[in-house]
Amino acid sequence: MRRALATAFFFALAWHSTASAQPGRTGAFPQPLSPRNANYTITARLDPSTRTIAGSETIVWRNITSRPAADLQFHLYWNAWKNTRSTFMRERALGGGNDDSQRRADEWARIDIAAITVNGGDRTASKRFIAPDDENANDETVMSVPLAQPIAPGASASIEIAWTAHVPRTFARTGAIGNFFFIAQWFPKLGVLQEDGWNCHQFHAGTEFFSDYGVYDVSLTVPSGWPVGATGVQRERRDNADGTATHRYYQEDVHDFAWTTSPDYVERTAVFQHPTLPPVEMRLLLQPEHAGQAERHFDATRTTLKYYGEWYGAYPYGHITIVDPAFQSGAGGMEYPTLFTAGTRWLAPAGVTTPEGVTVHEAGHQFWYGIVGNNEFEDAWMDEGFNTFSTARAVAQVYDPNYLALRYFGGFVPWVVKDIVLSRETEGNRLAGYRHDAKSDAQATPTYRYFPATGGSITYNKTALWLNTMERWLGWPMLQRVMSAQFDRWKFRHPKPDDFFAVASEVAGQNLGWYFDQVYRSSNVFDYAVQDLKSARDGEQYHTSVVVQRKGEATFPVDVLVTFRNGERVTEHWDGKDRWKLYTYDRLGPALSAHVDPNRVLLLDVDYTNNSKTLEPKGPAAATKWSMTWMVWLQDCLLSWAALV
Amino acid sequence: MSPLAAWSDGVRRVNRAPAILIGVWALTLLVSLPLALALRGMLAQHLGGSLAADTALSGVNYDWMQEFGDQASGLGATFKPTVIGFGAVLDNLSAFIDDTQRPVVIVGAASVYIVVWIFVAGGILDRYARDRATRAYGFFAGAGGFFFRLLRLAIAQWLVYALLFGALHPWMFGSLYPRAIHEVTAERTAFLVRVALYLVFGALVAGGTMVFDYAKVRAVVEDRRSMLSAIGGAAGFIGRNAGAAAALFLLNFGAFAITVGFYALLAPGAAGSGLRMWLGLAVGQAYVITRLWIKLVFWASETALFQGRLGQSGYVVRPEATWPESAAAEAM
Repeated sequence: MRRALATAFFFALAWHSTASAQPGRTGAFPQPLSPRNANYTITARLDPSTRTIAGSETIVWRNITSRPAADLQFHLYWNAWKNTRSTFMRERALGGGNDDSQRRADEWARIDIAAITVNGGDRTASKRFIAPDDENANDETVMSVPLAQPIAPGASASIEIAWTAHVPRTFARTGAIGNFFFIAQWFPKLGVLQEDGWNCHQFHAGTEFFSDYGVYDVSLTVPSGWPVGATGVQRERRDNADGTATHRYYQEDVHDFAWTTSPDYVERTAVFQHPTLPPVEMRLLLQPEHAGQAERHFDATRTTLKYYGEWYGAYPYGHITIVDPAFQSGAGGMEYPTLFTAGTRWLAPAGVTTPEGVTVHEAGHQFWYGIVGNNEFEDAWMDEGFNTFSTARAVAQVYDPNYLALRYFGGFVPWVVKDIVLSRETEGNRLAGYRHDAKSDAQATPTYRYFPATGGSITYNKTALWLNTMERWLGWPMLQRVMSAQFDRWKFRHPKPDDFFAVASEVAGQNLGWYFDQVYRSSNVFDYAVQDLKSARDGEQYHTSVVVQRKGEATFPVDVLVTFRNGERVTEHWDGKDRWKLYTYDRLGPALSAHVDPNRVLLLDVDYTNNSKTLEPKGPAAATKWSMTWMVWLQDCLLSWAALV
Repeated sequence: MSPLAAWSDGVRRVNRAPAILIGVWALTLLVSLPLALALRGMLAQHLGGSLAADTALSGVNYDWMQEFGDQASGLGATFKPTVIGFGAVLDNLSAFIDDTQRPVVIVGAASVYIVVWIFVAGGILDRYARDRATRAYGFFAGAGGFFFRLLRLAIAQWLVYALLFGALHPWMFGSLYPRAIHEVTAERTAFLVRVALYLVFGALVAGGTMVFDYAKVRAVVEDRRSMLSAIGGAAGFIGRNAGAAAALFLLNFGAFAITVGFYALLAPGAAGSGLRMWLGLAVGQAYVITRLWIKLVFWASETALFQGRLGQSGYVVRPEATWPESAAAEAM
């Protein structure tokens, strides 16, 4: 008997060890990967008919700073969508966002705290809303709970909260439409206590989130038969007598939890396998009308797991859930730990990276956001920019050619412009948007203070462009080492900008501060140009003069390529600091052209057309060609309206 | 006369008067070419002596297009990838049915073009209605003689279209459509709703166009001075011959759809430089000429149907304009 028990115990232990070693099946790791100082056990019930969630949670929080915590601060994100007076809604209006005045009363959101206890003591009466960012008295997205006893450094607290929430018609990728529910930022969530106090920003229109790592054990009750997708892995599913089912999801070492449910989901699964990276079980929840696009979603996710894994580091969780959101849900293109929303169209032609582009990007956030957990309120560029750069790089490895697509007839009908192949450098890194908004904010400004309408260009585009510039300047092997070092050093932690700059200079073996001063700490733009090119006979030779100019305030070393008619090419290396520079040559033949930054290393140059000059200009011929093309468009336009005569 | 016979007759009448087709193409060119030259100046100035022109000439330099677009306004702001190849046709059809706002300079050009069409409409219809050569004098006599009448008709027409595009369209697509799809979670369903609304709106526009087309035909054939009576007469004719009028409209619309379909296959895209560029332009102009031909066939076949149903093919009330029998003319 004793031997039988010992054998059973041995097998149980072996099973547990095996299971723990398979995070794809259990959501657990043999050893903690993160500090796990904010652990949530949540129970929630969704009532689809009233679009309400009744929830309760137990948070076990440990103070990992060296200062005592006199209060607790929580994000109540859904109160941003309570009315138009919240900071989120005011900023959204400032940025020219959607007009929400037509929303029905039941399409707004709210989250109401019914009770809160800390270490068994009722603190409900002491809770109050604070607005640390703008003192907006009408903003209820941050709740402070003063404590009866401060929580000492290293000490833990058990916090119990009961709440109800109303699910909105989607705001910021969260909400419901029809019987599609995407539920994110939905539970009272602790801010991050740092050495200088709580980092718990209000919800802003232009920024996302920041929270500590921990273990999430979440039980969700939804109508029976409605598939659930969520952060982590489903450990248990229980059918209830009232026509509901409770799904229990579990995940260790993540900093958020999101979930979705809809009876319409079509479920597909696949596995990512790689010679050197751990396997990942992929689960796809698709809209029925996109059933034919399942493999495109898997393929894009595989692309991400492969390239990000090879470049930066392995994806450790062993599973990932891809959610294809419902039409009009507004839930597409968003990242959550081990789960993300993609986004596609009913008509999605081949050769165009829809849904691949957004899928690679959001899957990529598992690395830059999920694993490396920067503060998205203050330094959103550290995940969005890194990831935009990486997305463009990964897409370029696989999806070539990647054509421009235009959409017509209300946006439903795509037309692939096969004359235009989108380049990684300019399209993938979104140069056009950056050019338009280049001076709107210095990147060092905390992201939540960026002007709402243009902040994205600084966060996403500018970072990706300066990273790609670094790649073209220092070489990919060097940048890859920089980024993988950043990833390795800061995974499951909260890096700040200076941490990255230090890693970059250290790995590159040179002080790159001057570069970050310009691209990060300033809103100056780069614009180099060929101001003048002359080549005239002078005796037996031709005297050629080239004047290159720095039109922007920012500086960067650039090459100047002078080409002569006899094929000779001379490359000058200009430090790019002076306002202009003269180069002169005496050659047997005349010059043909001059080109500043001929290899387009500096992708941040806002006007590349002026970077070159030739003595055999083809501008008139090109202008003729394009004006004739345009004329046919105009004639067709005229004929369309003349149909009414 | 059956709709098919009317359409065939219309085709015959248009083909027997090639000068009219050439003339309206020349008018189209006359309105569009100055703007194209203006744009050419802008593009040439922006390119200057840049090497960017090399790739813009040999294919598409999308980076340059975007740089140009970022600093352009008015006319220049319309220079986008939408102008390339068949995309241009989709862009215009989509803008038409979605009532997309165009820059003022484009609206101005379209207005001039429409006024020119109103002017030549009398001469064109007179020629097709008589079904015999009227020569330049006869053509311009018809054009001038009917201009102010057709202008009055155009004002009534404008009021109807202003109602359709200015009030009904915003209501249908800005209010009704969003409400209809508010809880729709399948794009396919929303698209079907939109297509249904397109069909309703398109039918109303087509109905209006038909009434005003036949009003023009009756004004010219019957030498009507009251345009309100011409509209009433047109409505009456369509009412009495609804099936035939609708069938004829669909035949003409079918010809338009076939033309657009062929152009989708043949549209030159961003042709290269030199001969390829001119070949691309030639294909584009062939498409434009075909579109103009279809527009003329619309009018000619509607005239043929009207006259055919009255059993008066080739009959026009107004006497044919003749060159003055002056001594000078005799001498000439």
